[in-house]
Amino acid sequence: MDGIRKSFEGNVVLKDVSFHLSAGEVHALVGENGAGKSTLMNILAGVHQPGLGTVRLRGANLTIPDEKAAQRLGIAIVFQERSLFGQLSIAENIFAARQPEKRFGRIDRERLYEEARVLLKRTGLDEDPRTSVEELSPAQQQLVEIAKALSFCPAIVIFDEPTSSLTERETQGLFGVIRQLKASGVGVIYISHRLREIFQIADRVTVLKDGENQGTLQLAETSTDDLIQRMVGRSLQLRHQDAVAAGNPIFLEVRNLSDPKSVTKPLLKEISFNARQGEIVGLAGLAGAGRTELALAIFGVRPRGTGQILVRGKQVEINSPTQAIAAGIGYVAEDRKEGGLFLEMTIAENVAAACLRRFGEFRLNWCEHVAVAERFRKSLRIACRTTSQTVQSLSGGNQQKVALAKWLLVNPTILIVDEPTRGVDVGAKAEVHELLYSLSRQGAAVVAISSDLPEILDISDRIYVMREGTIAGELSRRDAAEESIMRLASLSAN
Amino acid sequence: MPNSDVQISDPLVKKKAAQRPGLFSREVALAGVTIFTILLFWILYPTSFGNFRNFSAIVRNLAFEGILAIGMMIMLIGGSFDLSVGSMASMIGVVTAALMKGWNWPVPLAVAGGLLVAALGGFLNGFIVAKVKVNALITTLGTMGIFQGIALLIGGPGITYLPESFSQFGQAEFLGLQSPVWVLIILALLAHYAMSYTRVFRQFYYIGSNAKAANLSGINVQRLQIVSFVLMGMLAGLAGILYASRIATATSTLGVGAELQAITAVILGGASLAGGRGTIWGAMIGVFFMGLMKNVLIISRFSSEWQGIVLGAVLVAAVAIDSVVNRRQSP
Repeated sequence: MDGIRKSFEGNVVLKDVSFHLSAGEVHALVGENGAGKSTLMNILAGVHQPGLGTVRLRGANLTIPDEKAAQRLGIAIVFQERSLFGQLSIAENIFAARQPEKRFGRIDRERLYEEARVLLKRTGLDEDPRTSVEELSPAQQQLVEIAKALSFCPAIVIFDEPTSSLTERETQGLFGVIRQLKASGVGVIYISHRLREIFQIADRVTVLKDGENQGTLQLAETSTDDLIQRMVGRSLQLRHQDAVAAGNPIFLEVRNLSDPKSVTKPLLKEISFNARQGEIVGLAGLAGAGRTELALAIFGVRPRGTGQILVRGKQVEINSPTQAIAAGIGYVAEDRKEGGLFLEMTIAENVAAACLRRFGEFRLNWCEHVAVAERFRKSLRIACRTTSQTVQSLSGGNQQKVALAKWLLVNPTILIVDEPTRGVDVGAKAEVHELLYSLSRQGAAVVAISSDLPEILDISDRIYVMREGTIAGELSRRDAAEESIMRLASLSAN
Repeated sequence: MPNSDVQISDPLVKKKAAQRPGLFSREVALAGVTIFTILLFWILYPTSFGNFRNFSAIVRNLAFEGILAIGMMIMLIGGSFDLSVGSMASMIGVVTAALMKGWNWPVPLAVAGGLLVAALGGFLNGFIVAKVKVNALITTLGTMGIFQGIALLIGGPGITYLPESFSQFGQAEFLGLQSPVWVLIILALLAHYAMSYTRVFRQFYYIGSNAKAANLSGINVQRLQIVSFVLMGMLAGLAGILYASRIATATSTLGVGAELQAITAVILGGASLAGGRGTIWGAMIGVFFMGLMKNVLIISRFSSEWQGIVLGAVLVAAVAIDSVVNRRQSP
């Protein structure tokens, strides 16, 4: 692998970007959303053709007309958005359309499962290849995706945000796989918004901003601040400065909440916690610890067995999101595309979704819609042409801002945010954090669920750690550190 | 990414920007094709096509399907659909006729009774889909057979010679158009207003666009799904009653195939099976276009077998063009 160099004409997405990857190197690619990372990788994968410039592999010029050609050349991509067939088995997913065959086109199942088993072992996923993919956790599905990439015996593997749905421990597992690849001479391109990971795994880093290369650096010779400065062109204040009075009244209290015994897999057991006015409470834990389930149970989506929910000291009856909203609770869903946004509707319509009553029962006020959306567009710095454009045309960070704006309009006393910055770039991430701070300053109680430990440590005043459906412990801002959280989160799991 | 700060200060521009987006929409394109077809046949057949009696006949024949299409459009916008509407129309026509002929109920009471049965049938559909969580295709495929069976059980082939006090409404004319056409126009205007300006009905766009997100935004998805099925049932029942009134006969097989005609019309008019898209006026253009095509095929002396072929081709072509254009717009 020798060198790639290309530029785009017309709509200039990449301006004379050069990118070199050596064998056995982990090369990180960073930049804000829209900086051109995906376009660059799509050219390498044969999805797009370069307008100008050349791609060279091991010194030889080549063109990559389509994805199939890229696969033949040994270029494999692990996509951010999983592209698996849920109801098929792991093995069939890995070898989709390339199953080993016996005579008459019959699938050779024994070989299929054997080869799948070998690949799974390399990724460290301990599952029977006959298991259907929908039974796996998101993290395990990610590993299947990696096994699929490995099945092409690639010379280059591109990881696009591979850790956005992984917990800390799973991330370390993934890094093990990447180091193995590296040791066997494979060139790895690693795209991530999480700079800390890049310092752990990568050898070199290339920063893109507005389609231009802002420099390729040895990681030993740079720092987080330097990278951020190059990515956004300004330095960002990332730390939460407020000290919150511990004496504020309790806004949300959950007492002994458990799943009903009747469900097949009860998860939540005897959960009690609280959040005070003006406080940001973090909920940490591994994937599957029950954080999202807890949020859904409080929000009236998931049925509850026992337990009480108190808002401002008064017990409330919540059996549906409508009742939760009426009680003053908001919930920013974990997956904004699945549970937060109406993608083909306009920004204005999305912002209005959770309080349609405000805009009139029988004489809907469209101008008011737009006026409200314009207000949020300015205050949240949502980058868009007009608030009448559809949400699907926005970048991930701006979509997340719209999802938040929907709840800011409701103005809840208690806001639960579930993975508020997943797949969001550094600049937008800081803005989302700033938003949570100002919300708490205005007197709301914020409950933040996140798998991103530095984020949780950064924004929370107090942290609860969940493990296997229970609260494993509570840490004050002063006592909390990545080690103490991880210890609580995985104590009995090991 | 650079933020192009386009300041919108002109109130007129603002109002326009508030409308739903999409420069190329299927309903606008279809309206164009419809006007083109009318002009073409006006020139080709000035005497047999281009006269008021012919137009009156076109709209009279589409009152039935038009009322079904209103309901079907609301269903599809909400991401659901109902295959039992044709059978429902047949059943309610027969039930209403049986109430006034067999049981000697007064006409208004018989009509109310018929509509009540329609609402119950719709509720049954809605309950099974929304609460029991059976797929809408399977549920309404089942009730389609059930309603048709009930219609045949009660009415045999049909109930004829309905009382004049009943048939005089369906046969009445105003400004040269029969009363079912006026009912259609009024219902379409009401539905258009409801889908554009009332909170309750606007929620169907949210549900069709993303039901999970709608639920998490506090929209009562299950209840609205049931409402849409009840409404659809009552519209289908009303269509059946009006048709029976117009021909003074309740035919047990009146609605055979009407569900597919209605779905075809609303998809032509801009709806999507995925939900969240469509307008009532689009549904009306879809229905009118289908009626127009049948009419011009007859006038230009094609045999009736050609109707299915031409409409089928137009349906697939319309959706295909839409899909290609949309793909080009968003790279």
